[in-house]
Amino acid sequence: MAKTKFAFDDLTQISSRSELRAALALSRLSLSLPQAQTLSAHAKTLTPGLQPLRLGIVHTYTSDLLDPWLDLAASLEGLEIATYHAPYGLALQEAREGSELLAHQPDVTLLLLRREDIHPDLQRPITGLPPADQQALSGEFVDRLLAIVGQFRAHKIGQLVVSLLPSLTGPGLGIYDAQAERSESAWWASTKTLVGTRIRETLNATVYLDLDEILQQVGRRSFFDQRYWYSARFPFAADAARELARRVVSVGVLGKTPKAKVIVLDADNTLWGGVIGEDGMNGIGLGPDYPGSAFVDFQKRLLEYQQRGFILALCSKNNAADLDQVLREHPHQVLKDEHFAARRVNWVPKPDNLISLAEELNLGLDSFIFVDDSDHECAAVRHRLPQVEVIQTPSRPVDVPTCLDHVARLEVLTLTAEDLAKTEMYAQERRRREFSEQLEQGGSGAGDYLAKLEMKMRIGLDPAEHLARLSQLTQKTNQFNLTTRRYDEHQMQGFIDSDDWVVADFSLADTFGDSGIVGLALFRKLEAKRAELDTFLMSCRVIGREAESAFMHSLLRLLADQGIEEIVADYKPTAKNELVKNFLPQQGFRLGDDGRYRMQLAETPPKPESAFPIQVDMPIVA
Amino acid sequence: MSTFSKLQQTIAATLKVPATKITETTRDEELAAWDSLGHVNLMMALEQTFDVMLDVEDFPKLNSVPAILAYLQAQGVSA
Repeated sequence: MAKTKFAFDDLTQISSRSELRAALALSRLSLSLPQAQTLSAHAKTLTPGLQPLRLGIVHTYTSDLLDPWLDLAASLEGLEIATYHAPYGLALQEAREGSELLAHQPDVTLLLLRREDIHPDLQRPITGLPPADQQALSGEFVDRLLAIVGQFRAHKIGQLVVSLLPSLTGPGLGIYDAQAERSESAWWASTKTLVGTRIRETLNATVYLDLDEILQQVGRRSFFDQRYWYSARFPFAADAARELARRVVSVGVLGKTPKAKVIVLDADNTLWGGVIGEDGMNGIGLGPDYPGSAFVDFQKRLLEYQQRGFILALCSKNNAADLDQVLREHPHQVLKDEHFAARRVNWVPKPDNLISLAEELNLGLDSFIFVDDSDHECAAVRHRLPQVEVIQTPSRPVDVPTCLDHVARLEVLTLTAEDLAKTEMYAQERRRREFSEQLEQGGSGAGDYLAKLEMKMRIGLDPAEHLARLSQLTQKTNQFNLTTRRYDEHQMQGFIDSDDWVVADFSLADTFGDSGIVGLALFRKLEAKRAELDTFLMSCRVIGREAESAFMHSLLRLLADQGIEEIVADYKPTAKNELVKNFLPQQGFRLGDDGRYRMQLAETPPKPESAFPIQVDMPIVA
Repeated sequence: MSTFSKLQQTIAATLKVPATKITETTRDEELAAWDSLGHVNLMMALEQTFDVMLDVEDFPKLNSVPAILAYLQAQGVSA
């Protein structure tokens, strides 16, 4: 059973960082500054050793006092933070070549701004303006903010995090404000929506960190400390500083650790209270009354993680029939069979089940988050599969619904259409597998199966509209990836805009559905009619359908038409991309003495579309 | 633990200096780390360690170990 009550001294006895983070979240302890320092010193001594995280802060109020809290948040995540604080003020000179901020080479740059820095009219009450003027001010405010943020975004300063300090006081019109025509809170809510939309639509690798959300979490009295604000221009009380630091460091964590993709869930005492095999359908805790009410909420929360793009899988020691019955028949069960991309319901040791789930889903174990209430199972997985992040389900049901909230790797900074449709895609994949098995039983071969899928490939060239997805593919794809080069959205935009680069992606549709964007190739044109294949990757979800070859040869035909005569390519081995070791020779590339692969397009003409069981749709290039 | 020992540890942890450098007579100008930023940090640490609420008017006066000890005593703090 997971411990539920922690005194500060218990925390320094914990010897794993993930347990320490969970214990801190669960304990609701307020930490004093000396305690924070003691705890970060402890977290730094744990294994594995610390990785660097470089942070730049541009601030129009005091930011140095965040340092001990940033240090704590980073140590808890296994990071050694190095922070550069720009000179006090709206330091636009930092958004220039040669600035100290750029020289610091931050992984994350945080803008700590106040609304009144952006627009001087905000120094006077917003409630003094009639609605039309309020709306105009909103537009001007957002334009100015975006112009400032855009200046920073134009440089290589890592992930950009934009924040605006909430008002120190409640809304201008007090209790009446919520219904007033000139309401301050309504003005701010609509302005903030505009900020979020504009950042999403126009800026890459930029996230709006909503401090109002932290204020709601800790409460206004615990968020601000007026004494430090008025005497030292530092607004945050300890709880707010700690939570802000945690969120900023989470952004860094997302760039530094393998992407989480799957939440693997135990069933008994995780999805419901009690044990189905012993307590039966009517005995388990799942429904409107305590403790079942907490588990219903946890299941709803899990559906929200699905909306963030994580897939759910089951791994439980139960009789499969018992578990099926809950999924199918329990009136309060929220998660049904179709919500799980894969499941292992058996009596096999859980580490073995996780290994086989990874194989089935074609995903690395380091993309797994494992949730289980049992001390034994958690310890077994931590021991045998240290790359899996383990979260122990809290033993008090009231703590269960929020038990994943503190997990940095379950945050997302962008959402693509593919993320939202991911579970549906895995369900399609399961139907394809069943279809293929049916054909096999009927005596048909693999070729027959592919032909019956009626596949159509849609290739996009310089597809700026897929920017977020393309960057995400370079970040997430480990197995079918020739060079494993990671690019952020900012870099990807550069390739799309450049005439020297060919950026191509594809999606694949068949009788079961559409895969969304699953493949990416980046070619860089060199002098003398040569081109270099910088990146060639494909999501594992479409492996085994000849899509990779159809894509490659379509692009080779395109390059040949553009007058390219030689392609140079590389296979850069990693711990994970063994799968593509022979891909280049299979496509007709020859290995040279220098270890690079080459193809002369005149000698080895690309294969025609008809060579593959896929109809290809490619834009015509003038 | 005496109030002084507790204060000594708090200052050492907050300003990241060895505890031995802090005596019953130490003043801010003797420690490079006790600058204006360190001072604000120290004020926060004092509040949280000794469970007192400092007045902002008192911040500038609490610039030495004897001044802080006297203040804590006046607040009825005993270790």
